[in-house]
Amino acid sequence: MSPGVELLSSVLEKCPANRVNTQATRVLVNFYCGKLDDSDTVIPALKGLVPLCKLPTFTSSDAIQTIESIIRHVTMKVQVQSTRYMVFRIVDTLLSRYREDLKKMGTSFLRGYINLAEGEKDPRNLLLAFSIARVLLIEFDVWTLIDDFFNITFCYFPITFKPPPNDPYGITTDDLKDALRKALTATPHFGRLALPLFLEKISIGSPTIKRDSLSAISESFPVYGPVIAREFATQLWNSLKLEIFQPTDDITENAALSTTQALIVCIYSDSTDNENIQGLARDICEECGNILKEPEKSRAKPAIKVIAALIRTSPPITHFALEQSLPLLLKLFLDPAEISTRPATLSALSSILESLRELASKADGRNVEEEQPLEPYKDQLLGVLTVGLKSSNTCVTAIQGLLQWINIPGALTSEELGFVVHSVNEASMTKDAEEDVREAALTLLKSVSLKEPHHIEENTLPLLFASLPDRGPERQATEERAYIWKTLGALEKLCAQPSLFETLVVKLSSKVELLCSITPLQEAPDGRAEERECNAAYAHAMLMTLSNVFSQKLDEKHTDLPKYLNRLIPRLYNLFVYFAYNPEPQLCVATHPHLIDAASRIIVLTMRSLNVEDQTAFVKQLFGLYLEGQFGSILEGHFKIATNYPFAPFKDGAPESQRSLSVLFSAPLLALRTEVKLPVESELAFFRSMLLWSVSSQSSDAQSVSIQKALAAVLNRHVEGLSQFLTSDAHAFWAEHIQSSSIDPSVRTRALEGWLWITKALVVRSHPSALQFADLLFTVFDDPIIGWTAARTLGQIAKASDILSKKYFAVVRILHTQKYVQHVLPRALEGCEWKGPDATQQTPYLIAVASLIKSVPRTLYSGQLTKLMPFLLRGLELDDSDLRSSIIDVINEAASEEAPESKLISEYASSLVSIMLKIVGTSNGQPVGVRLAALRCLGVLPSCVRYDVLHPSKSNVIRQLGKVLDDPKRSVRKEAVTARENWYSYHG
Amino acid sequence: MAPALINANPTIFAPTKQSLRRNDLNARALWIDQRDESDEDTEAEEDIDQQEVFDLIRGISDPEHPLSLEQLHVVSAEQIELSRNRVLVEFTPTVPHCGMSTIIGLSIRVRLMRCLPERFKLDMRVKKGSHQSEDAVNKQLNDKERVAAALENPALVDVVEQCLSTASKRDDMNPLDL
Repeated sequence: MSPGVELLSSVLEKCPANRVNTQATRVLVNFYCGKLDDSDTVIPALKGLVPLCKLPTFTSSDAIQTIESIIRHVTMKVQVQSTRYMVFRIVDTLLSRYREDLKKMGTSFLRGYINLAEGEKDPRNLLLAFSIARVLLIEFDVWTLIDDFFNITFCYFPITFKPPPNDPYGITTDDLKDALRKALTATPHFGRLALPLFLEKISIGSPTIKRDSLSAISESFPVYGPVIAREFATQLWNSLKLEIFQPTDDITENAALSTTQALIVCIYSDSTDNENIQGLARDICEECGNILKEPEKSRAKPAIKVIAALIRTSPPITHFALEQSLPLLLKLFLDPAEISTRPATLSALSSILESLRELASKADGRNVEEEQPLEPYKDQLLGVLTVGLKSSNTCVTAIQGLLQWINIPGALTSEELGFVVHSVNEASMTKDAEEDVREAALTLLKSVSLKEPHHIEENTLPLLFASLPDRGPERQATEERAYIWKTLGALEKLCAQPSLFETLVVKLSSKVELLCSITPLQEAPDGRAEERECNAAYAHAMLMTLSNVFSQKLDEKHTDLPKYLNRLIPRLYNLFVYFAYNPEPQLCVATHPHLIDAASRIIVLTMRSLNVEDQTAFVKQLFGLYLEGQFGSILEGHFKIATNYPFAPFKDGAPESQRSLSVLFSAPLLALRTEVKLPVESELAFFRSMLLWSVSSQSSDAQSVSIQKALAAVLNRHVEGLSQFLTSDAHAFWAEHIQSSSIDPSVRTRALEGWLWITKALVVRSHPSALQFADLLFTVFDDPIIGWTAARTLGQIAKASDILSKKYFAVVRILHTQKYVQHVLPRALEGCEWKGPDATQQTPYLIAVASLIKSVPRTLYSGQLTKLMPFLLRGLELDDSDLRSSIIDVINEAASEEAPESKLISEYASSLVSIMLKIVGTSNGQPVGVRLAALRCLGVLPSCVRYDVLHPSKSNVIRQLGKVLDDPKRSVRKEAVTARENWYSYHG
Repeated sequence: MAPALINANPTIFAPTKQSLRRNDLNARALWIDQRDESDEDTEAEEDIDQQEVFDLIRGISDPEHPLSLEQLHVVSAEQIELSRNRVLVEFTPTVPHCGMSTIIGLSIRVRLMRCLPERFKLDMRVKKGSHQSEDAVNKQLNDKERVAAALENPALVDVVEQCLSTASKRDDMNPLDL
């Protein structure tokens, strides 16, 4: 008979709901309920009831009949999980559709359900059971059966279930925990039963159990209510106190603190007497207050955390906790006998301010701005913090406290804020101020600069500008220079805000102009050259400061940058072009290449902030100046330049002072938007002539690279217009300047650099010519002069470059590096395996592989690491410390990530050990960087290789590392200490 | 409940600033963008100094509290004497009856044995007048054989390893986080 019922149920499952009428439903319910008492048919009957009870024609009397039959006939304990699951599903459906009818059944239903649910163990069923229990506890009258409900829910607490690996049902521990917690916190009736149990779990449980109990308690308070919370207050606090004052770990400690908060909130949620706080909050505050009388002791730290937690609860408690702690701490600070505890006292005060700041930043409806809980203590507190500023052992803490305070909205008036700024300036902006004081002060001042910049403008900036001298300090004056750098660093941090930035630009650019036109103090040529160097370094530092702020503002998307196209950029061109005409350019500050570089950074950054129109207009001016010698608005500035001067940096025989300004021509082109057309008749002709200039004797190496980068940028944007270059010119260039061995080696190297940039520009936009150009590099690998350089170039092409990125408006296609690597890596690897009479022929291929690996993100080759490893190890033998340290870095990275590569590292572990030990021996004179990388490698091996693999090397490694402890470099010794430590604790 | 501690509520001091050496680095380079390179790239010798030895031991934990020896002012840079091949480390127990002094001393000794080149001879002593059985502790810590014997006691080694496990974490600690 059971197959028949089974068939019927399967049909019913698939049958559309509207095909079963009321009559049929009735019949089916009767039929199925009748089948429930037969152990043969109970399973298929339940299977039929699952879809049946969802039908619209299923009535409330059907529901009652179904549930009664199930309760009477189904014995859960003898059924398998899937059957029990059906029962829970039926109950769940009935409960959501016929809740009122079930309520009318009263305790018979509840008792029946408890019987069904009792002893359930499967997580899938429990998830349903917990949510059913929650509904019953909330909606039904469970008071008389509360003990039974307690038993069928609390027996599961705490959840220790761990899903098996690859669990097909996808039930996580957290799902179960959440569901159970919702059931446990469903009714206040649980209160008296639950809290003792939770407390017991806290006191004896593991950290996870402690945390589970703590969060369950926190969630239960709003439900269990203040009466119960008060009843257990002392017991709870004693237990929480232990977790806070002798914490097992940070997370549990924080959980205990938030449970304390929840407890306090709950206890006082119905309190009307906000003036006179009695009970637990008073007890806690008094207890902590006593501990805080010795703020320097270790128990003071948790005590202040408790106070801070209380402050973050409800308004009356905030006031009370402040009243109980602030006056005490303030008095302690001012007590002459307690001077030695001042740092600790201030730190406690600072924590209180921090808690108030956190309270203010929380959006939970409390209006701290209106409450102003600090108001009664304001003057005294401000006084104490100002005193704190004046002493070196409390200064940083005082600043940190003030920082918290100024970030509490409305806590200080503008006037008071000005006073804070003034006091902090005094404490921190002096020459002998400690580094950490300065840093903390800058964080505070920066925070003020975003709120009320005028305080910084009026108070801080004049101080900072005044400490910048008119001339650059001499080479030996390291202290003076360090102070200037510190000042510039401070300006850099503070002046991103638009109005302050304007001041900074004006002040620093004028200072640079002044410095460039200053009369030299020295007369002897040597002395003058040295003086120029020092002044240039100073001017350079100022321009770098500007450029750093520009870059910061660009990252933060400030909108005031474009206006500096007219305010600052022409002044820079004016300055540098003016001094290019000086009769003794080699003695001018403004002709120093370093300075020009710094200016070019500012120009690129400004370009990046411009729209198409502004860029077009600017490029027109730029080309007019550089290619046609027109002095337009681009040169408007401080210095007067006679209009009849010839200016043609790219003409044959141009003076060096003009040629070095080519950097300022290429800079703006780096950030060219695609839409901007170059104002030349033929882009191709322009491109050709510039490329030739870059490999000619007319340019220096630095000038050459700067132009080649600009050409790469142009090619990347305007490849369509330059197609002829790709099809014919480029190949001619390759043959004439790179391949031909009769050419001067320096020209060939330069041309290779140009090739690098041209190919890179094409690679990032996945242009078909890119791979073709890269392939040409392989053909010169055997060249005795440029072979190795070509091999390195092959790798460098893959390296991501800032200027060929979206940020610089470059045309970038996705996965371009992948395509490139997939193309060249196999060929390079093939070369490494190439067996010929002369093993050195493999060398360039090894270099190419190492250089590629160094250039691309790890994900691109991690899959092939097994194949690469032998080559990398061979690459370590090459005489190139750059490659060597980057290979070690690659290995370290692979090693520091656990499986699956750890197996790979294990395979080579012992050879790695011996290679690295060879490298770190100081006698063979490896550079510091390589020594450090090798030590890092040794240090990481114990964590990723099974002990039995490296066990034989342990004593040798420890002995060898012992020698490195005497390395002349401190950083190397430090790394050796770490590595040795890891080997000492390397056990089976 | 844990057994009663010898000093249950010790005074905590703010850790001293990060290695003070950085400050006198100053601006040896002329150009601002070369300031960071100047240190790494040269092969100039840097001798082991007081600060370096202190950096090695400041992060060792107290056996009783999750606090560093530095925070408890058990060790300080000034209490380290260094000559060519000799180091003398003095330390101050938090209370005169501190039974943990030998453990602390042993931890310091093991740390330095592992981290300083072999050529150094290592001496240790308790600060004068800071411990009731000063001589005994000093003697115990400087007796080679007793130290070797102590290091063969697995229980003792465990405690020492525990104290040393935090020794190198010093750098990541925020010096302002009291």
